[in-house]
Amino acid sequence: MSNPIEVHGLVKTFGRARALDGLDLVVSPGEVHGFLGPNGSGKSTTIRVLLGLLRIDGGQVGVFGLDPWRDATDIHRRLAYVPGDVSLWPNLTGGETIDLLLRMRGVDPRGTRRAELLERFELDPTKKGRAYSKGNRQKVALVAAFAAPVELLVLDEPTSGLDPLMEQVFNTCLAEHKAAGATVLLSSHILSEVERLADRVTIIRTGRAVESGTLEDLRHLRRNRVRAEVSGTVPALEGLDGVHDVEVDGRLVSASVDPVGLPLLLDALSTAGVVSLVSTPPTLEELFLDAYRSTP
Amino acid sequence: MSQGLEGTGLLLRFALRRDRVLAPAWVLALSGMVLVSAAATGPLYGSEAERVAAAEALNASPAVVALYGPILDTSSLGELSMTKMTVLYAVFVAFMGVVLVRRHTRVEEETGRAEMVGATAVGVHAPTAAALAEAALASLVVGLLAAAGNIVAGLPVAGSVLFGASWTGIGLVGAAIALVAAQVSSSARTVGFLASTAIGALYLLRAVGDTSVSWLSWLTPFGWGTRLSAWSEPRVWLLVGYPLLAVGLTGVALALRRRRDLGAGVLPDRPGPAEGSPRLRDVAALVWREQSAALTGWTIGIAVIGILMGSIIPSIGSMLGTGEAREVIEAMGGVGALQDVLVSALASVIAVVITCYGISAVTRAAGDERDGRTETLLATATSRRGLLVAVAGSALVGATWLLLVSGAATAVGRGEGFDPVGAALVQAPAVWLVLALGLLLLSLRSRWAVAGWALVAACVTLGQVGESLDLPGWLVGLSPYHHVSRYPAEAVAWRPELVLTLLALAALAASWTRYRGRDIG
Repeated sequence: MSNPIEVHGLVKTFGRARALDGLDLVVSPGEVHGFLGPNGSGKSTTIRVLLGLLRIDGGQVGVFGLDPWRDATDIHRRLAYVPGDVSLWPNLTGGETIDLLLRMRGVDPRGTRRAELLERFELDPTKKGRAYSKGNRQKVALVAAFAAPVELLVLDEPTSGLDPLMEQVFNTCLAEHKAAGATVLLSSHILSEVERLADRVTIIRTGRAVESGTLEDLRHLRRNRVRAEVSGTVPALEGLDGVHDVEVDGRLVSASVDPVGLPLLLDALSTAGVVSLVSTPPTLEELFLDAYRSTP
Repeated sequence: MSQGLEGTGLLLRFALRRDRVLAPAWVLALSGMVLVSAAATGPLYGSEAERVAAAEALNASPAVVALYGPILDTSSLGELSMTKMTVLYAVFVAFMGVVLVRRHTRVEEETGRAEMVGATAVGVHAPTAAALAEAALASLVVGLLAAAGNIVAGLPVAGSVLFGASWTGIGLVGAAIALVAAQVSSSARTVGFLASTAIGALYLLRAVGDTSVSWLSWLTPFGWGTRLSAWSEPRVWLLVGYPLLAVGLTGVALALRRRRDLGAGVLPDRPGPAEGSPRLRDVAALVWREQSAALTGWTIGIAVIGILMGSIIPSIGSMLGTGEAREVIEAMGGVGALQDVLVSALASVIAVVITCYGISAVTRAAGDERDGRTETLLATATSRRGLLVAVAGSALVGATWLLLVSGAATAVGRGEGFDPVGAALVQAPAVWLVLALGLLLLSLRSRWAVAGWALVAACVTLGQVGESLDLPGWLVGLSPYHHVSRYPAEAVAWRPELVLTLLALAALAASWTRYRGRDIG
């Protein structure tokens, strides 16, 4: 296995609940992989399996081609993790926590970009853990993760609690690490963030991957919204293969259309004498809402 | 003052709902001990003369007096029955107040939940008032049940009620102490430490007063319990002292509360180092750093107790009371032998206290896992083995160190021989076993680690109740402390020490087997 993350048919149950139900997830070297899904769909559970914190009930999981359960420490030397909800040691300062986490990854904090990052994130490292706000706790974890070069970044909703300026700093840092060859697994809810940063995405719902590919791929799989005006009478479109949600208003007609239905629809419209035609690709939001909602 | 109290009733109901197990368990355990002691003590003695002799023997032993307070009326069955309850168990009543108040004030502020509540239509002082009201309610109930227990066991009604009232009073004082502490520091741990230290100091002040400078005992609420003389010619006016003290402390707390912001303490949070020391490099160093403040505090506390108790031991010969007491002691092998018995009895009590240090180290690890810090650690090159070894080490090594400190301090206080060191160290295997079981609970499921406190409480109860209730040997023998040699009164029996150590090792091995294979978080 040459991919940094390779997951096939992963099953994880908690008692009777099946948190992960045959999940597939492949992250290729050097890519930023968006990992999306509604709340409770199993994103954090997947990440915790990848970190070797949870024992799996079925399937195969490989990180750098190693078993995260057996070889946890070897894997962890090569990755950095930012949890979604950062909890700090109440009586350690932010600076101490950053240095501790770096040392625990086998990195000497001297000679890292720690000082520079503290400045860019505008983080005061002398405060005690209990005194930080949520956003500042997040910054502590981000500085620790970004301070040294690393092969794989595992980020679980890393920008929650950051203001827009800090989100930009985050984006820049991520881009720098990507340019340096790092692979990134980015779990997120923020669509614009994913659109801007991710090369490929996997959408997970109820413990299963429902979509995976580049955003372009996903767009192609989805319906375009076509609006047209015809000179003659509007033809009957409901029966056409791959054409849905037809709405007629006088000589105006609009419909959603699958890629397979597009030639049929265009034929019917040109027969009716098409005057104008607009085709809109699905917005990212529609894409996700669709994937979140629809039954596989 | 009517303003700022809106929503107190709602918060009180909510607090009671959250504490529906904790508070009743605490109240029932304490009042149950009262019932058992009251019911068991009478039948223990054939005649009144025997009973009086027993009371005098207790009074003749300064270590017992230091621990439990004096028996002022040796002819009173009530006072003899409640010897342990009047002072020592009153400490647990006070701690109930501390735990309840701390839980609903500073802990809520530290976690940020108080902010969420504060943003609703709830008054500024409502959380404080609700916490205090809950603790007061629990104190009232424990006092009523304690009185009822005594009455059911056949003790005089008036004395029973007065005794119960003193327990309610000490519960109120504990709650008020915690309320003041909660204003001082923004750290819930520090608040717990401050309140415990205050209660410990008041208890020690009484120990000194009861054994030497007697007027000191009048200054501390733990001295009032005995001086109330609930069972003979009661000083009912002393009961006013508790609410007076509680109200005074509450006033101080409210004044402090008005001077600070939500989430902040009166003591400002000082900035710390911007960089981690190179020594803070692995999980062992982290756990050590986390525990060092607590261990320092414990070391000082245990050393002070050891020196005080040790210094009381030599005075035993001169403090013998009546002829009967002298006879009892001669029958037990003379003054020297009695001193040895005391040394070993003290060591066994302190060993249980020291076990609490270890359990707190284990439950801290459970808190780290609950809050997600363990996850952060294990996502670095830190191994599960390294983590468990660090936690186990901090509990076991810390407790062993404290045993050594207590033995050495007692020896220094006594100023003669090193027997107390041996007496403390023979306790180690029992302490190790209880802590290893606590670690096993943590390894089974992190949320179960708090049951470690129940483990300690069960051992104490078996030891205390076992001796007065004449329980079957196997039941009393469930407590590891029961099998420890009573050195220097007896020679050290190495077999039980070895068996306890092996059992501790087995529990540690089981703990590791489970911890390496379970889900984290």
